Amino acid sequence: MENSQEKVAYEWIMAEAGKINVVGEFYCSTRDVFEVRFNQMIKNLFEKREEDASIVSAVVGEIANNSFDHNIGNWKDIPGIFFSYFFSEDKVEIILADRGQGIFSTLKKVKSEIENDQEALKVAFTERISGRAPEKRGNGLKFVRENIKNKKMHLNFFSGTARAELNDQMKIEKNAENIEGCLAIITL
Amino acid sequence: MRIELKKIGDVLVSRPAGREAFLAISAYNLKDLKEDEEIEIDFSGVKVIAPSWADEVITKIAEKFKNVKLLNAENETVQATLKTLREYSDLKI
Repeated sequence: MENSQEKVAYEWIMAEAGKINVVGEFYCSTRDVFEVRFNQMIKNLFEKREEDASIVSAVVGEIANNSFDHNIGNWKDIPGIFFSYFFSEDKVEIILADRGQGIFSTLKKVKSEIENDQEALKVAFTERISGRAPEKRGNGLKFVRENIKNKKMHLNFFSGTARAELNDQMKIEKNAENIEGCLAIITL
Repeated sequence: MRIELKKIGDVLVSRPAGREAFLAISAYNLKDLKEDEEIEIDFSGVKVIAPSWADEVITKIAEKFKNVKLLNAENETVQATLKTLREYSDLKI
């Protein structure tokens, strides 16, 4: 992990269940808590980077709400998400993480032929599929991929033993460590 | 009938929020309207909209009514969201 914000996020998602900081400023136990902090982030982002603020905010909203949508009632240990952001004149970094089921576990319920975490990430970012079938949904990560590219952002998305790196292209590879749940690092 | 989305909020994200908005719109704005009634969805004042919210509102209104018009939809996030809905949610408008 490159910086202190990433280090805190990484420690949060890798910690044993009894050792997680659940009172810190980055922890959002429910969607309501996230929304309050998300609205503050949007306000700050419009002040710092108005030209990018709306799309970046929509991307963050999709990733964060996916965590709640797909893990409600099924969190592994700690409900809710990690959410932090850092803005300077020349850099935006936003980190989201959840200790939920992960992409592979969610998608294999509706597409049993998916064999591993890497395949699951590829499907999630490219195919019209929802882990909550028969509900008609599943457009969020496609929107994320397209707008990461259009806005020249960078996204590192970890789930299980897979890592997807998105910018103007998408590269999916095996990750040395197993990130249970999801970890997303957006930079611009 | 014109639906001004800014009256719901200027940050429109998440499916639960979209679902709630659609129920309210259905009860207060769309009730008893015929399917060929003109429905104008006005995006003015919207700062952020995401496809999960819009799929619960825009897609559903477009499925129910034949004559839906989108007004003041120039905002970048509105355009990006509509593109995603057209591509992945069969939005026809």
